[in-house]
Amino acid sequence: MRMLAVFEKGERIRHIGHLDIQRSVQRGLRRSGLPVAYSNGFNPHILITFASALSTGACGTREIMDVTMAEEVSEEEFLDRMNRAMPKDMQLSEARAVDQKHPALMASLRAAEYDLLIRDPETAEKLTAAIPSMMAKETVTAMRKTKTALKECDIKPLIYELKGEGQHILATLVLTEREACKPGMLIEALGKEAGIDEEIRMLVTRTGLLGMDSEGRLIPLERL
Amino acid sequence: MDLNDKIEKILEKVQKAPRYTGGEMNTEVKGWDECPLHFGFCFPDTYEVGMSHLGMKILYGLINRESWSLCERFFMPWTDMIALMEEEQLPLLSMESRHPLNAFDVIGFTLQYEMSFSNILAMLKMGGVPLESSERGETDPIVVAGGPCAFNPEPLADFIDAFMIGDGEDVMTELNRVILERKEKGLSREACLKKLAQLEGVYVPSLYDVTYNEDGTVASVTPNCAEAPATVRKRVVVDLNNTYYPEEFPVPYTEVIFDRIMLEIMRGCTRGCRFCQAGILYRPVRERSMEKLIDLAEKLLNSTGYEEISLSSLSSGDYSCLPELIRELMKRMKEKRVSISLPSLRIDSVLKESLEETQQVRKTSLTFAPEAGTQRMRDVINKGVTEEDLLGKVRDAFEGGWSSVKLYFMSGLPTETTEDLDGIADLARKVIAEYFNVPKTQRAKGLRVTVSVSVFVPKPFTPFQWAAQDTLDAIIAKQEHLRQVLNIKGVTFHWHEPYVSFLEACFARGDRRMGRVLRSAFEKGCILDGWNETFRYDLWMEAFRDCGLDPAFYAHRARTKEEVLPWDHIDSGVTKQFLWHEKEKSERAETTKDCRKGCNGCGLQRWKGVCSYANAGSV
Repeated sequence: MRMLAVFEKGERIRHIGHLDIQRSVQRGLRRSGLPVAYSNGFNPHILITFASALSTGACGTREIMDVTMAEEVSEEEFLDRMNRAMPKDMQLSEARAVDQKHPALMASLRAAEYDLLIRDPETAEKLTAAIPSMMAKETVTAMRKTKTALKECDIKPLIYELKGEGQHILATLVLTEREACKPGMLIEALGKEAGIDEEIRMLVTRTGLLGMDSEGRLIPLERL
Repeated sequence: MDLNDKIEKILEKVQKAPRYTGGEMNTEVKGWDECPLHFGFCFPDTYEVGMSHLGMKILYGLINRESWSLCERFFMPWTDMIALMEEEQLPLLSMESRHPLNAFDVIGFTLQYEMSFSNILAMLKMGGVPLESSERGETDPIVVAGGPCAFNPEPLADFIDAFMIGDGEDVMTELNRVILERKEKGLSREACLKKLAQLEGVYVPSLYDVTYNEDGTVASVTPNCAEAPATVRKRVVVDLNNTYYPEEFPVPYTEVIFDRIMLEIMRGCTRGCRFCQAGILYRPVRERSMEKLIDLAEKLLNSTGYEEISLSSLSSGDYSCLPELIRELMKRMKEKRVSISLPSLRIDSVLKESLEETQQVRKTSLTFAPEAGTQRMRDVINKGVTEEDLLGKVRDAFEGGWSSVKLYFMSGLPTETTEDLDGIADLARKVIAEYFNVPKTQRAKGLRVTVSVSVFVPKPFTPFQWAAQDTLDAIIAKQEHLRQVLNIKGVTFHWHEPYVSFLEACFARGDRRMGRVLRSAFEKGCILDGWNETFRYDLWMEAFRDCGLDPAFYAHRARTKEEVLPWDHIDSGVTKQFLWHEKEKSERAETTKDCRKGCNGCGLQRWKGVCSYANAGSV
């Protein structure tokens, strides 16, 4: 059986990179004493995957891990033992047992929800005001960083939802194995639309990972 | 902008932010207001180095275990962070509750190596604490320090209010109680320090006056008040089984140097290598029982989730029931997929049996420390190891499937000649020959022999404490020679920066006046001296000139038997007389037996019941 579990990457540890988060979860699993499955081979490791890597610097309230268990464990027990074994900035909020055939999370991922806290209130106001005009455009160009260069791309089709609420910009953006609109790209484009030149300081929180149900609706990935 | 905003802003800009963010598993955040005594534990180097240090984990757990005391960690920020903190006018903050250093009642530095001294000044300054003891007032914290470098406290005497000499876990709580009394009863700073001076193993430098001879050597170190004892005797934990050892360690998010469980199987070493300061300072040998160790290992695995355990001590191979311990640990850890590493294996104690057992889990490179290239030189330093021993162990290792071997040597040892340097190359060649003697089908591919040669630094409380260090020219010439003779296929040669070793030698045997050099160098910008990219030799030399002191006086001068050494008022348990006797034997290349084979009369027999190998009379 596999356990899909929703966990948090708290603000204090937001600068911890994905590899270190992975290692911390693995150590948490070892501390919990839960019967996790290990790979075979010379250096056995815990069979675990993550739905999506979260950028260094970003917080996450509903990140998802997918752990293969060696024995049956109830969802309650999994949650209880893990929460005692994990640091307070990485607590779990939900667990769902699925069978081995459940599709891989990464392949089902379609979008992510973000809550972007704009540090400067005036800037936030300007950004919110610029949303309607930007969304009315045919194309919205943003710069995408690749390993070697900056590439121009159209992010308009990658935006599912975008609105402003006080100091926050709330966005649902495409996130799949192939393409993604990163929050930075969105805010850069929106900033341009609002006529802001200086760098925009913000706190990124990913608040949900979404998949698509049979009717084409975005729903939380862990419930798919 | 409030404090947290400033911190967040800095963290977005700084390199390696996780060094500064805290929140790691098993780091206690006790309520600041619930604990009357606040202890700021300072490791005067970067997070990655500090979090690898066992002593900090022990004291961190010990202080936080008491209901009335709280311990939080401080590390030396890297240069980019220091610049950002200055820009934002942010003080040095604790990893846990982000309180500034000067908000703590006690600030404790661990002194692991001399080249971290400038970081102490930097941390005090960033933390808003006056640098010198004499500049601190009634509201300032008490600054204490311990660790191996506290045994010659003099170069730091101006900056540290009280030193803890010896095993820290033995004295820590007593010290904290006195400082709590200062806080609760409003004891004056002076009264508090005088009270601390009465604790066994505590040295309060301001209570001692130093006089000098015309030639610059120390004439006397004498107490200037009744409360200070003439000599300060080190603290010793007599029974390791009944002393505190943490059952949980902080687990860093990011990788640090030693990212695993460190299980201290024993303390001390009976070998008596004459260059080795730790071998004297951590005497006598005390072992933890197997039952205790297995219990600790299981608890630590459950509380940390680590994948690896290392058995640590100065000489793990000497642990009385090592094969049994390893076998038992293996048996219990296999199911948990834990690997066991033995870091400080000595070449004459590697049991073939345990080699075979370790490889069952993982095969890393093996390290041997013959320390010197010829038998004569090894006898001078009392490294009781022969070439046959070494080659036998190397053969076992190659036959057991290892192909990577590291060999550690020292250069610049007293009486060293070119022949001794050539001996290093000969030994490396013989090691290679052992590899090729193993049939091709049986040996692992990819032979790698790494030869590391460090520069010898004479240390206090060793038989070589009277010896002169080689001059820089001599060291450089020797390194050039080694480079030539070690130009052997399959051998990688590493050497140490001679300039750092030179400065280390000045501080290791420095007197109180070295504090002026330290302060001057710090003010010129010297920090993070243990790192190549930040070490500024030129500024250090400038500081010596400005203070009118000659570094050669400290590093390159041989001392006479009569000379008062700056640390003579500290009692390490081993007598000066024994050390001098050992020095004389070394000059005749005479060896001294392992204490386990009979008491050599080092002086510990004076303290009844402390050393299990001591029996007065057999001197």
